[in-house]
Amino acid sequence: MKRLQYLFLLLAAILFGACEKDNFDGPTAGLSGRLIDADTKELLQQDIVRGSTIEIVEHGYDPVRPQYLIVKNDGTYENSMLFENMYTVRPVRGNFVTPEPIDIRISGKTVQDFNVTPYLRIQDLNISKQGNLVVATFRLQQNVIGNVQKIGIYVDKDPRVGEPMRLGQKEQTLNAAADPNTVYRLEYNPDEFKAQMPLGKSYYFRVGALMSLTEAKPNYAPTVKLDI
Amino acid sequence: MKKVCLILAAVVLAAGISCSKKSTGGNPPPTPDPPEVPEAVYDETGCLYTSYKGLVMAGYQGWFAAEGDASERGWYHYRNGNCGGFMPGCAAVDFWPDMTEYTKKYPSPFSFADGGNAPLYSPYDEETVDLHFKWMKDYGIDGVFMQRFVVEIKNENAKGKRHFNKVLENALKAAKKYSRAICVMYDLSGCTSADVAYLEQDWEELQRTFSLFDNKTNPTYLRHNKKPLVVIWGVGFNDNRKYTIADADQLVTRLKGPSKKVSVMLGVPYYWRTMRNDTENSPALHALIKKSDIIMPWAVGRYGNDNYANVAGAELAGDIQWCNNNKVDYVPLAFPGFSWGNLRNDPSLYNSIPRMKGEFLWKQVAGAKMSGAKSLYLAMFDEIDEGTALFKCARQNEVPLNGNGGRQFVGIENDLPSDHYLWLSGQAAKWFHGESGYSATLPVR
Repeated sequence: MKRLQYLFLLLAAILFGACEKDNFDGPTAGLSGRLIDADTKELLQQDIVRGSTIEIVEHGYDPVRPQYLIVKNDGTYENSMLFENMYTVRPVRGNFVTPEPIDIRISGKTVQDFNVTPYLRIQDLNISKQGNLVVATFRLQQNVIGNVQKIGIYVDKDPRVGEPMRLGQKEQTLNAAADPNTVYRLEYNPDEFKAQMPLGKSYYFRVGALMSLTEAKPNYAPTVKLDI
Repeated sequence: MKKVCLILAAVVLAAGISCSKKSTGGNPPPTPDPPEVPEAVYDETGCLYTSYKGLVMAGYQGWFAAEGDASERGWYHYRNGNCGGFMPGCAAVDFWPDMTEYTKKYPSPFSFADGGNAPLYSPYDEETVDLHFKWMKDYGIDGVFMQRFVVEIKNENAKGKRHFNKVLENALKAAKKYSRAICVMYDLSGCTSADVAYLEQDWEELQRTFSLFDNKTNPTYLRHNKKPLVVIWGVGFNDNRKYTIADADQLVTRLKGPSKKVSVMLGVPYYWRTMRNDTENSPALHALIKKSDIIMPWAVGRYGNDNYANVAGAELAGDIQWCNNNKVDYVPLAFPGFSWGNLRNDPSLYNSIPRMKGEFLWKQVAGAKMSGAKSLYLAMFDEIDEGTALFKCARQNEVPLNGNGGRQFVGIENDLPSDHYLWLSGQAAKWFHGESGYSATLPVR
C-alpha cells in the first residue's frame, strides 16, 4: 500500500511538473478589414449566421490548421487575438468570387480590405406597403455563371435579419440565370406571421438572392425598416 | 611630444589627400540615368476602333488555298497530308463552306450526291475576302484578328509569307471598305526561340509594307490603350513547346520598346490563373501577363455544352477579378462547337462538341457577359478544319460526299439557315454594345 502511495506521489509530481506554466507571450496582434464590392465600392453585406469567413493560415507550422474569422453583417471583420507572424489570408465560402490568397505580416493592428465581386447585385430595390402586403421589386445583376437558386424577402425584429435569421419570409425558387430584363417581385403578407411579429410595430426587411453554387451564401440589398 | 603630434598630423593629412585623389581620379564617373524616352503618341483622328472594349471580334484563319489560285499552294489546309492529300475519303476539313455567294470558285475533287462538283474558295482572292468582310458588316460582327503563323511566314517559306501577306492585304482593304476592325495576331505554335525573335522583324516589315498605324490608310486597325494592338498567341502552354515564357517576355519588351510603341494582347492557356492542366506552372507567366494590356485565354476544347457551367463557372469570374486587380484587360473566348474527324482521321471525332443549334455558343456569350466581360473573342470566323467556323457553311443535307470509308463532312443543322451562326454572332455583338433585351435565353430570329 505504501508502495502504491509513493507511486501516486511520483506520478503527481511528474504531472504537476509537466503543467508548469510556459513562457510564451500571449497574442498581441490583430487583423481587421472589410469586404468591398469591387464595382460599387460599397461594403458587401453578409449574414451574421453561416456567413462568409476569412481564412487565415499562420506560416511556420507544418501541418497547420486554418483559422476562420467571422465576417459581420455589414461586411467588416476583426480578430484582435492573433500571434504576430506571417499569414496567408483570403475570404472564403462567401457570396462573392473567391479572390487570390495574399501573404501578409500581421503585427499590431493590421488592416486588410478585400475588393471582391459579389455573385449577385440587387438593384433598383423598392420595398413598400401596398394594402395589406409588403411588396418588394428589384432587378438582379448576375456576375457569375450558373443559376440563381432563389430570391426572398426576410423579416425580423433584429436589424441583422437575413435568410438564416428571420421570423418571417417570402421566397421564390428560380433555378435559372437572372434575366437582366426582368423586374422581380415578392409579396410578403404580414398576417401570415403575426403570431411571431404582431401588427402595428416596426420590423426590418431585407431582400436576398442565392446563387446555386457550392457553399454560396445569399447576396443582400440594404435592410429597410417599415411599420406594419 | 609636440613634434610627434605634428608628424602624425602630417601623415593623416597626406593619407587624406592621397585618398581623396584616388577616389576622384581612379573610379569611373557615375553613369548618368538614361534619358527618359517619351511615350509614343499616335494620331487617332478618324480611327474607328480605339479600344477592344465593347467589341465582339473573331479570329480569321485565311490559310486556305485552292488548286488553281495565284498562291500556287495547291489545296493548302483543305488537304490532309496524313491520308494522301485532298480527295474523297481524305480531307483536313470537317465543315464545307456554303459557296452560294462567292464569285470566284475553284472546282474541287469532291461532288454532291447529285454528281455536281462541290467548289471551294481561296482567301488569296480579293473578292472572296471582300465577301467575308461584307458578311461581318451585314451581321454586325465588329471585326477580326488576322492569324499570322510565325513558322509559315519565315523568309525561307516564300510562298507562305506571300500568301499571308496577300490575305492580309485583301483584309485590310475590305476592313476599310466595310468599316470593320482588324488586328494582326501572331501564332507562336511550332516556333523555336529564334522564330519568336524573328517575329519582331516581321512585325516591323508589316508596319512598313501596309502603313499599319497610319490613321488614314488603315483607320480601322484596332487600337487599345492609345496604341495599335498586336496579339501574341501561345504563351505559357505546357505542351513541350520549343520556346519559353522568357522568350515571349523578351519579345513583348522589345515590341513595346522604351516608348511603349504598341499595346499587346497575349493568347494564354485556359488555366493560366491557377497554372494547372494546360498551363506551365511558372510565376514568370503572371509576371508577363502583368506587362501586357489584354489576355485572351484559349477555351476551345476545354468544355462542352453539359459541363460549361462547372468549368467556366469556376474560372471566368475569378479570372476577371484577377485581371481587374492587376489592371490587365480580359477577353473571354466563345466557340460554336468542335469537329475534327477528318483532320484526325477518326470518325468518332465528328461533332465532338455539338453545336446544339447555337445553344452552346450562346451559353458562353451569356456566361462571359454575366461574368463581367467587356469584350469577346469568337473562335473562329472561317475555321473549318476544327469545325469552329461561324461563317456560312453548308447544312448537313447539303454537304458533298466524302468517299465510302465512313468519312463524311459535317453540316450546320438542317433546320437552320446557313448564316445562323453569323446571325448569332451579330446578336452577341449587339449585347456587348449595350443593346437591351438579351439574356441567357437563346435569342429567336
